[in-house]
Amino acid sequence: MTEIVSAFGYSVSLTVVLIVAALVIGLALAVMFWLTVGLSIYRSIEDTRRARVRDELQEQLLEGTFDPDFDWETWVAGLSGVERDVVESLLDEYLRELDGQNVERLRELGDALGIADRSKRRLERGGEYERLYALTWLTLLERPENLHAAEFSPRTQRERAAVARLRYESNDFENPREGISLLLEGARSQFTVFGQDTLYRIGTEDPEALLDVAERNYATWPEPLLVQVLVVCRHLAAGVTTEDLSWLTAALEADNEAVREAAALALGNVGWRKDVRSDLFLDRLVADPSPRVRGAIYRMLARWSDQQALDTLLRALENEFDPRTRLLGTEALGSQRDQLPEERATALGDAWTWSHEHAKYDRTARNPGGVRG
Amino acid sequence: MHTLDHAVVQFIVGFGLFVVGFYVLINGYYLCIHVLALLELRDDVRESRWDPPFRRFASPFYPGIGIVVPAYNEAATVVESVQSLLALNYPEVEIVVVNDGSTDETLERLVENFDLEAVEAEVPIDVPAEEIHDVYRSTIYEELLVVDKDNGGKSDALNAGVWLTDMPLFCAVDSDTVIDRDALLELVGPFLERPETAVASGGVIRVANECSIEDGIVKSVTLPKTGLPGLQVMEYLRAFYSGRLGLNRIKGLILISGAFGLFRTDVVREIGGYRQDTITEDFDIVVRLHRHLMDEGRAYTVDFVPEPVAWTEVPSTRRVLGRQRRRWYRGMVETVVTNRRMLFNPTYGRVGTVVMPLFVAAETIGPLVEGIGYLVLPLAWYFGFLDVEFVLIFFLLTTGFGVFLSWFGVFSEVWSFNRYDSPSQIVRLLWYGVLENLGYRQWKTLVAWQGLLEYLKGVDTWGAMERAGFGTEEE
Repeated sequence: MTEIVSAFGYSVSLTVVLIVAALVIGLALAVMFWLTVGLSIYRSIEDTRRARVRDELQEQLLEGTFDPDFDWETWVAGLSGVERDVVESLLDEYLRELDGQNVERLRELGDALGIADRSKRRLERGGEYERLYALTWLTLLERPENLHAAEFSPRTQRERAAVARLRYESNDFENPREGISLLLEGARSQFTVFGQDTLYRIGTEDPEALLDVAERNYATWPEPLLVQVLVVCRHLAAGVTTEDLSWLTAALEADNEAVREAAALALGNVGWRKDVRSDLFLDRLVADPSPRVRGAIYRMLARWSDQQALDTLLRALENEFDPRTRLLGTEALGSQRDQLPEERATALGDAWTWSHEHAKYDRTARNPGGVRG
Repeated sequence: MHTLDHAVVQFIVGFGLFVVGFYVLINGYYLCIHVLALLELRDDVRESRWDPPFRRFASPFYPGIGIVVPAYNEAATVVESVQSLLALNYPEVEIVVVNDGSTDETLERLVENFDLEAVEAEVPIDVPAEEIHDVYRSTIYEELLVVDKDNGGKSDALNAGVWLTDMPLFCAVDSDTVIDRDALLELVGPFLERPETAVASGGVIRVANECSIEDGIVKSVTLPKTGLPGLQVMEYLRAFYSGRLGLNRIKGLILISGAFGLFRTDVVREIGGYRQDTITEDFDIVVRLHRHLMDEGRAYTVDFVPEPVAWTEVPSTRRVLGRQRRRWYRGMVETVVTNRRMLFNPTYGRVGTVVMPLFVAAETIGPLVEGIGYLVLPLAWYFGFLDVEFVLIFFLLTTGFGVFLSWFGVFSEVWSFNRYDSPSQIVRLLWYGVLENLGYRQWKTLVAWQGLLEYLKGVDTWGAMERAGFGTEEE
């Protein structure tokens, strides 16, 4: 093996190349082995130490929670580093699960552990995840004052949602409109499900404010965000009195079928007023080229369930050529089955009998002791 | 004769040079993938540690999931499997069990245990599957639907479920797979982050042999003590965990395990569902999704989520493992051949120009080249120009690098979710990383060649998987 390897004007013996390669791989193997084993031993020791103290700490924590005279400060001062970590993870778990008076005692423990102050520092100096962890702690502890005291403003949509959630859970907004504006004014990207849920919680307290903010801003939103807001509107309490729902009806004309679908479902919920409905060209809507959108329109009409809507829906279903969309429509009609003349229901064919029978099984399973029908 | 000798020598020398070049290319690719996996894992771990302060079960924004379970002659386990699925933590699920023409008592066991009744109405939609005899509803579980149909194979059964579920997402699950209780809540993550573009996400498949499982929950995770399942743990960690994480980093995930994957129902229906004439339907469906969505110019994502885990029993005998791996190899070749238009085609972006060609080179051609190498060595020795010293060093280098990549996978596991939490298990796992190079790897090259021959002969059977069953605490 005396060959010479030449590259880039250099010549080296093949033996040297192989020896260098072997050394590099050998070194990499040694490093990887000790790194893996070392890390495994470290994590195992940590887990064992945590497991050893967990039960006892849990007992003491519960005792302190139910005893108003228990001194958290003294207790926390006697904890080791590992014990403090375990207590913080228990605290996180209980704050998410418990409600009522006990939670206030747990929040006092959070203060004794210095979590709120630490979170303020993390907000000012940490990276995105550090800031999200901090906002989560402040939400669980309901300490918006630490947010206000920090030199911090949200930089991402997730942080914006986390700030809104903190202030919502802490009753820190003067009114729901403030929270809705924080989430939606100037928003340029979609939310995660956490942000969408936060918008829903705040919007539920004042649906008119949500519809109003949406009406003023919807044209500036990217389509995925618009769809999310429309989906939230679908879940709001029905019966809003907002005068202007033109942005919702305009969304029915969007090019994107996801927007049209979400708009139809939202209108099914909030478009209960006769004047809103009379503005819509129902016959044109049920002729939408997208089966997905037509399915949503059928559900909207079934939700309204006035005579005009039902007539339009039945007419459309009789002419519906896509079997799955027809099925969607008949399923939506399920709750109005008693209002339908039998001959019109029969005209819907297999889709009607199928959805009718499945609705019966749904009711039976929900109420196993009851009578089927 | 002299000319023949010369030709053989030329071939062997040329092949040797090709092997060295090929080795450098493939291992460079693997190294990149594993480094990318580590970066991806860092982000995933940080993300998984952030638990937003809201109650997921009270949120109306989690999309419903239809769990589609194809069942063929699963009478022994089907009731336990369905009970385990009914206990999953997720706001809205529909479980669609498709009895694929079982010849045992699979259907009877389901009817009896879940109080099923046949729906009288005709199915009002066309389902691209073998004839459906009956659809059953449970009178005690609203979310359970059982479809009884003629036998048509796994893809056919999956299609029946995909067409009959009402849910916007569906999860394809093998009936012998145990899913972690919260796995769906994690697996749905990409669909919550990017509801308009996410089309598929896959979780981690782990080896359940010797783990103790009670009431459909993995109570303790144990590394198998016997060699063959242990070697497969190592393989799963490297290929199904680290490898997929790396591909996810470059938005090039082309395979989601059939035992545990979540898909957008309407998009899968759009491409006609699972292909009935394939034996690796999981690989085929993901590649076709890429192809279809890129052909249509639509924005989409296919994601790998490292935390949700599904547990499956792997073969513990060489005979059954060989049968499984030959089937995987056949299916891989078939899918690659079917979708060959994607290879080196810039229309398919990074998937077509980088991921698929390197995947084919590494996973399809790699074992074949290695197999030829083992034949060429004695030939070279016979002709008297085998440089034994070079071959030995080359073997040690390639093996050393292979072990390094395997250990990289183990390190990723320890650093992130650390399911094998005892250091002694980790040391054993590292040992498996060495051991697999001594016989197992060479045996797999033989299996690859057998798989190729079966593909060329048109073999299209699945072969039965023989299972020992999951252990319980008492055992």
